[in-house]
Parts: sequence; structure tokens; C-alpha cells
Amino acid sequence: MSTVSETAPRGQSARRMRIDGWRWGGRAFLVFMLLYTALPMIWMLLTSIKSGFAAMQFPPQWWPDQPTLASYQKLLDPQNSVGQDFLRFFWNSLIVSTATTILSVIVAVPAAYAFSRFTFPGRNFLFFAVLLRNMFPAVIFLVPLFILMRAIGLVNTHGSLVLTYLTFGLPLAIWLLKGFYDNIPVQLEQAARIDGATRFQAFVLIVMPLSAPGIIATAIYSFIGAWNEYIYAYTFLSKNEQLTLPVGIQRFFSENSTDFPGLMAASFMMSVPVVVLFLLLQRYFVRALTEGAVKH
Amino acid sequence: MTIVSGKAEARRRLQSARPDVLRKMWEHRADYAYVLPAIAVMLVVIAYPIYYTIELSFFNTPPGLQLRDKIFVGLNNYTAILTSPVFWQVTLNTLIWTAASTFISFVLGFAAALALHRDFFGRGALRAILIIPWVISAVAASYIWKWIYHSDFGIIGAVLVELGWASRPPNFIDSVSTVLPSLIVVNIWREFPFAMIMMTAGLQTVPEQLLRAAKVDGANAWQRFWHVTFPHLRNVSTVTILLLAVANFNSFIIPWIMTGGGPSNASHIWITHIYELAFGRQRWGVASAYSVLLFIILMTLGYFYVRALSGNERKDGDA
Repeated sequence: MSTVSETAPRGQSARRMRIDGWRWGGRAFLVFMLLYTALPMIWMLLTSIKSGFAAMQFPPQWWPDQPTLASYQKLLDPQNSVGQDFLRFFWNSLIVSTATTILSVIVAVPAAYAFSRFTFPGRNFLFFAVLLRNMFPAVIFLVPLFILMRAIGLVNTHGSLVLTYLTFGLPLAIWLLKGFYDNIPVQLEQAARIDGATRFQAFVLIVMPLSAPGIIATAIYSFIGAWNEYIYAYTFLSKNEQLTLPVGIQRFFSENSTDFPGLMAASFMMSVPVVVLFLLLQRYFVRALTEGAVKH
Repeated sequence: MTIVSGKAEARRRLQSARPDVLRKMWEHRADYAYVLPAIAVMLVVIAYPIYYTIELSFFNTPPGLQLRDKIFVGLNNYTAILTSPVFWQVTLNTLIWTAASTFISFVLGFAAALALHRDFFGRGALRAILIIPWVISAVAASYIWKWIYHSDFGIIGAVLVELGWASRPPNFIDSVSTVLPSLIVVNIWREFPFAMIMMTAGLQTVPEQLLRAAKVDGANAWQRFWHVTFPHLRNVSTVTILLLAVANFNSFIIPWIMTGGGPSNASHIWITHIYELAFGRQRWGVASAYSVLLFIILMTLGYFYVRALSGNERKDGDA
């Protein structure tokens, strides 16, 4: 930096002005994006602490006159029926998402490792076939999968959801992890094997720890995907006690369509687990993308 | 070389090639065990449904999915789709939806990644806030925005009235002319962070030395971006745009929850339309034919996706 200014004293102020223009433009843009991103969420929070009556006013109360946590109490109270439903949906979502996450890590890790290390015939074909899953919308698979699930007796079970969610988490998981394994030197494993480890031991003791960020990123991605999934859960599940959160909330509020504070409180609480999880682990996610997907 | 010897040559090559592949597959038999679980899940949940959808698209099916009673109708489902005016309206909606969402999300995400590339106080927090819409459920997002757009108590309408720009709150999602743009705004809100994450990751791979060298050579900020940064990001940009395009093409939740495709089909896109045909009106055959058409379009996009991805591979020389 200093060399530049020493060697080019003339035109420096012009350049600084131009750079400043870019920088101020960038700042203004970031402020705009911050407002665009945050204002809807702030409005959600403000609405969720209003009473039903206070929310339905025109002009609106920009700041709630009498903030109340009634909506949250109602949703989290196991004594009344709304609270029972909400907590059950929450629990269902948690079970389905956790099962999906564990299974997709178990399936994706060996597959990604094989795609990275081995050169068996059909490797590229299989790799891209797995990736192509990303291309297809849920709707294409809905009817046949519904029939398939009915045939193997999984309709109205959480198993049908876990099995389906596995497939849309897998492609990105395998892709990310493969990038990771590509960057881990084979020599490390070879050294371990010379020291007497089997291929499996070398994999578990050397490769797995080194790819931990990738595995964490994969797990977050699967969990968030399963937590937020709507269309399969909407189609496969019909019994009230099995619904996951997105469907449960939708079904509940199509019956109580004017309870906007309750709806906003439910939306907020549905978002909390995934947002917290993501914020805690986001550096792994960006790192995994950098090392796994982008850098090749 | 005569034709005969050419054929013989080809046959000999084939014969020598086949045992070779089989032998290789046998030698590598243990390797397949690693990918087998992934492939098995994929086969059950993907290959079978695709086959089934194609079959069903040639049949007329009675409601209730009593599939034993289906009637073969040849290509009737396809001709019915292509001659219906709704098809063309929905296709136009889908094109506008996909193109606008993808382009604007990418530009906003890329710009945000660039603006956040230089370190400053609070950068991490700002980045985290910008990512949140991508993480929260599309169902929650749809309800939040439905409330914001509410025709009586929505905050945007109230602000417009307070500022004197409108005499009464506008009907954003109940009017044919504004519904699609309004939904696109919601979709971009949810999609731009993905572009931002991808491009942030991409930016970290641009060599610092090159940028510094360009600066020493007198390149200004725009020239450094256009001649150094951007070429480095071509691959990740392609992949990001394709993934966004596919995701937008396939989106369902936002239009479905916010408007259900209405008013008068103005916000129906392909996926919501297929869903309504299948599960609303129980016309499985027509819905399957729609899916097959969709499938063909996506395969075409998928070809470019694979090409973009394998472009990365080939440089390493292992593809």
C-alpha cells in the first residue's frame, strides 16, 4: 500500500476518491441489505408480542403498547391443546431431523471417500448420478414415492420422511466431503498403513478427524433441510400426532387464520433451533464450501 | 481400410474391452461397498419414481389412486397439456419467476460477498444476520411475508399510507398484476444468502498476490475486479447460478402457502400447478405427463450443471 502511494503521488486524490466511492457504495448497499433482511424478522418478533387485538389495528402499533408473552405461553403450555400440539410437532421434527442427519453422515462419508480415493469403473457416472438428484423437484417423486411408501407400509410413519430426506441431503453432502478428501494427502494414510493400520483404521483414525469440518457442515445441511422440509411431510403424513412443525403450523393456522401473533410466535420458535445451530457452526460451513466445493 | 475390416476391428476392440471392464470391476469390487448404501437409497427413491412417472404419464387414472383401473391413453395427456392456455400462462410465470429470482439473488449475493470481503468491525455479525433468511423455514418465511403484505394490517401498506403515497393499503398478493413480483421479493429474501455464502467461499480462493500485483501495475478497483477476481470466480459463479436456477424452478412452498397459485393462476408456477393437478384434482396421468416434460427440461439444465462441475475436475486431470 505504502509503495503504491510513494510511487504514484500524482492522481492519488482522484484514486482515493474513486476507492472511497466504491467503499461508500458498498456500505450503503450493506445497510440496504441489512434492512431488507432484518426488518421482516423484527416485524415478526414485534407482532409475536402483541395481543391478537393489538395486531389487528390500522394504522399498526409500530411498537407494541402492551407487550405480552401470551402467544408464547399458549404455544409452550403442555396443559392446553394448542401447546400439546405444538410441542408434539416440535418433538416430531426433532426426531426426524436427527435421524436424517445421523443416517446421511453414515451413508455420505464412505461414499465420498470412495469417490475421492478409488478409481473404479463407473465412478464418474455414479458420482454425477448422485449429484443429479439436486436437479429434480420433490413433486416429480411425490406420486410414485407415495405409492411406494404405501406398498412397503411406511405411509404415516416418520420412516418415510427420513428415507426421503436422506436423498436430498446426500448429493451436496457427498460433493462437499469428496472435496475435503481430495485435499487430504494420500501419503498420510499410506504412512499409517506402513505403520500397520488397516485401510479401515487409517480411514477412521487419520481421515475422519481431518475431515471433521466437512462432516459437521454436512450434518448441519442435512439437519436444516430435514427440519424445514414441507412438501413430503405434507403429503405423507395425515395423522395429527405425527406432523412435523412446518405442516403442523400450516394446518393449525389454516383453521385459526386470524391469530397472527400466535403464527409469528410459532414461526419464530420454529426458526430458533436451526438459526442457533447454523450460527454456532457457520464457520465450518463456509470453510467446508471453500475447501470442499469451490477450491478444486 | 474396408468396411469389413473396420467392423472386425470394432468387434475385436469390443471383445477385448468387455472382459477388461469386468475384470476391473471385479478387481475393484471392494470399492463399490463404500458407495453401495448411497446408490441403493438413490435407486429406491429416485430411479423407481422416475420410471413410474414416465409410465403413468401414458395413462388415465381414476381418482383415489386405484391404479389397477388405469386406462392407456397414449399421448393424450401430452397433447392436452400443450393445447391448454393455462399451460402457457404457467410457463410464462415460471420463466419470470426463475429468471428474476435467480438473477437478482445472484447479483445481490455476490455484491454482499464483495462488500463483506474486506474486514471491518461487526463484519461477522452482519454476515450472520444476512444468512438467517436462508436458514429459516420457507413456511415461516411465507407466513412472515404474508403478514407483511396483509391487505388490511400489513406493515408495507401502512407505511405507504403514512407517507401519503397511497390512499389505502395496496393488495399486494390479491391482485393479478402485483402478486408475482411480490412473491419474487420473498423468494429473493430467502435465496440471496446462498449466493452470498458460495461467493464468499469463492472469493477466499482468489490469490491475494495477484490482486496486489494488479494494484502495483495501476489497475483500479473495477479493473482488478473484472480482470482478476471475476475470472477466478467463473466456475463457482456458474455452479451457483445453476443451483439457484434449479432451486427456483423447483420452488413450491412460497407460492403454495402465500397464494396457492391465485388469484386466477397469476402466481401458479409449474410445480404448484403439477401439485394441484395431482393432489387437488387427482389427475395423476396429466400430472405425470407434466412431470416428464419438466424432467426433460431439467435434464437439459443438468447437462450444463455436470459440465460446469466436471470442468473443475478435468483441470485436475482425473476425470
